[in-house]
Amino acid sequence: MRHAFFLATRSLWWNRGRSLTIVLSMAITIGLPVTVHMALRQFQQEISARASTTPLILGARGSRIDLALHALYFESAAPATITMADAKQLTDSSLGTAIPLHIRFRTQAQPGVNGVPIVGTSTEYFEFRNLVTAEGELPTLLGDCVVGSECASRLGLKVGDRLLSAPRNALNLAGDYPLQMNVTGILESSHSPDDSVVFTDVQTAWVIEGIGHGHQEVNAQTDPALLLSNDSKNQMTANMGVLPWLEINDENRDSFHFHGDSSAFPLTAILAVPASEKARVQILGRYSDSQTRVQCIKPPDVIAELLTMVFRVEQLVRVCSIAAAVVTILLLGLVLSLSLKLRAAEMQTMFRLGCSRLTIVLLQLAEICLLLLTATGTAFIAGTATVVFAADAIRRLLF
Amino acid sequence: MISISQLQFAYSDGPFSLQIPHLVVEDRESVVIAGPSGSGKTTLLNLIAGILPAASGSLKIDSTDITSLSDAERRLFRLRHLGLVFQDFQLLEYLDVLDNVLLPCRIHPQVMLTRDLRERAKSLLDAVGLEGFARRPIGRLSQGERQRVALCRALLLSPRVVLADEPTGNLDPGNSVRMVELLMSESQRAGAILMMVTHDHSLLPRFNRVIPFELFLKRSPVAAPGGTEE
Repeated sequence: MRHAFFLATRSLWWNRGRSLTIVLSMAITIGLPVTVHMALRQFQQEISARASTTPLILGARGSRIDLALHALYFESAAPATITMADAKQLTDSSLGTAIPLHIRFRTQAQPGVNGVPIVGTSTEYFEFRNLVTAEGELPTLLGDCVVGSECASRLGLKVGDRLLSAPRNALNLAGDYPLQMNVTGILESSHSPDDSVVFTDVQTAWVIEGIGHGHQEVNAQTDPALLLSNDSKNQMTANMGVLPWLEINDENRDSFHFHGDSSAFPLTAILAVPASEKARVQILGRYSDSQTRVQCIKPPDVIAELLTMVFRVEQLVRVCSIAAAVVTILLLGLVLSLSLKLRAAEMQTMFRLGCSRLTIVLLQLAEICLLLLTATGTAFIAGTATVVFAADAIRRLLF
Repeated sequence: MISISQLQFAYSDGPFSLQIPHLVVEDRESVVIAGPSGSGKTTLLNLIAGILPAASGSLKIDSTDITSLSDAERRLFRLRHLGLVFQDFQLLEYLDVLDNVLLPCRIHPQVMLTRDLRERAKSLLDAVGLEGFARRPIGRLSQGERQRVALCRALLLSPRVVLADEPTGNLDPGNSVRMVELLMSESQRAGAILMMVTHDHSLLPRFNRVIPFELFLKRSPVAAPGGTEE
């Protein structure tokens, strides 16, 4: 058999163009369903693991799946907002910890690099997800931010750099302005969606949204032309000529302020960490009424629903793969039969030299066996490499 | 010794038939089979080699009656005891020179490809003037060089009989002479019988004996001639 494989190897190498075509055809036929299966299993494990470590999520009533994906992966479109009052209500009830999430903005895109989500949250988030910095420190002041490891490498950021937010609508002059944030730290890789975003304090997120701002001092002494009115109670109204600060630094930090009731400030989700199992049930009960503005979801249950849908897609892929496999097998059968015809003269030589029927069959089987083994190996290597090296791409593809 | 008696053969899909009443080739003899095209010279070589089964009669190589062997036994006998040189050489393009010479070892169920056999293959290549060609692809050889590789392949396992079917058919006169001298000298060195088919009458005097195939055509199926001594 050793000699059969030797001769088969030489023959395949001699006809390497044909061999490569056959191997690639078979590898794609075998590899496609295998890779999809492996990628979906990886996806299932990742998404389930993150969901299972997140007890409850509060958010505006609407799609439960969108809310879960938004709060867990920061990638789906921002749902309707809830308010800081909802977080305060949970904290005040002593039922658990409320971790606010405000994910409505992204950083500005750079040439060849898309902007990444800016996650406004509190320091509890870093403790909850066990996130620590590899360099620098977590944000402590308004305007500070910390970036995930993959994000830092993609955007080429280091501690001390500045990062600009992207306004949602550049034509809305009365809306949000880009804010330049200070990068105070780079997070250690956690192999999770936290690696791909920028974290800042929720108050900084509100500044980006335009709810809070800082601007040059306005009074009759500084520049009377900036005043629309100045009544007898010294209530001044500034005109549009007043410039808001586009960055927060030591000189202007104190001038930043918020307008309105802070309890009404928007959040896109709240991670609720119940104090106990009993508290968990109580929180769920509190938001079980479908008439309430806020819903509470159990991420593992929602993600299980999502996975059910995803695996229906896998079944579809499997059916398509079977159809493709049948076509490929027929084509390969044709190619191999033509190949055998082309090798008929060689087999005749073998016969005339005295080669036995069994050896002639073994020579041909060895060649088919080598093609199959190479194709199967290629398919598994490609599948594994896809899952290992393209996990993030798959995640982005699936969301 | 090759001994043929009352050998008959006919193709199932044509009118051709061959009848050889009697033919003997002694050990170490070099004989050439001459005759017109279509007279059955190649068929005779194929019958001796066991590639074609005889319809009746006796065909013995030493004490083995080829006609009584099964297909599998004939293949094994051919591989072990006969060396064949074909007109179109029938070398494998995907193997280099050395691996083509070693091919009989790789398809032989009982012969191990040993270091000694490798050395023998190399020394055969050296003997036919192909030293330094061992790893050269077949496609880069001239016709004469290919012919010599085919001869080395035929001689590798020290066969009892070397059967050469028009091995000079594609060669110019000079190379034809060199090829025949090589066949004869290497066969003699191996102690083998050499039977060669050729149309080239200028080569006939170099052989111990010429078997004019017309004799079989004229006299068959009644007459039973042996070969004619030159």
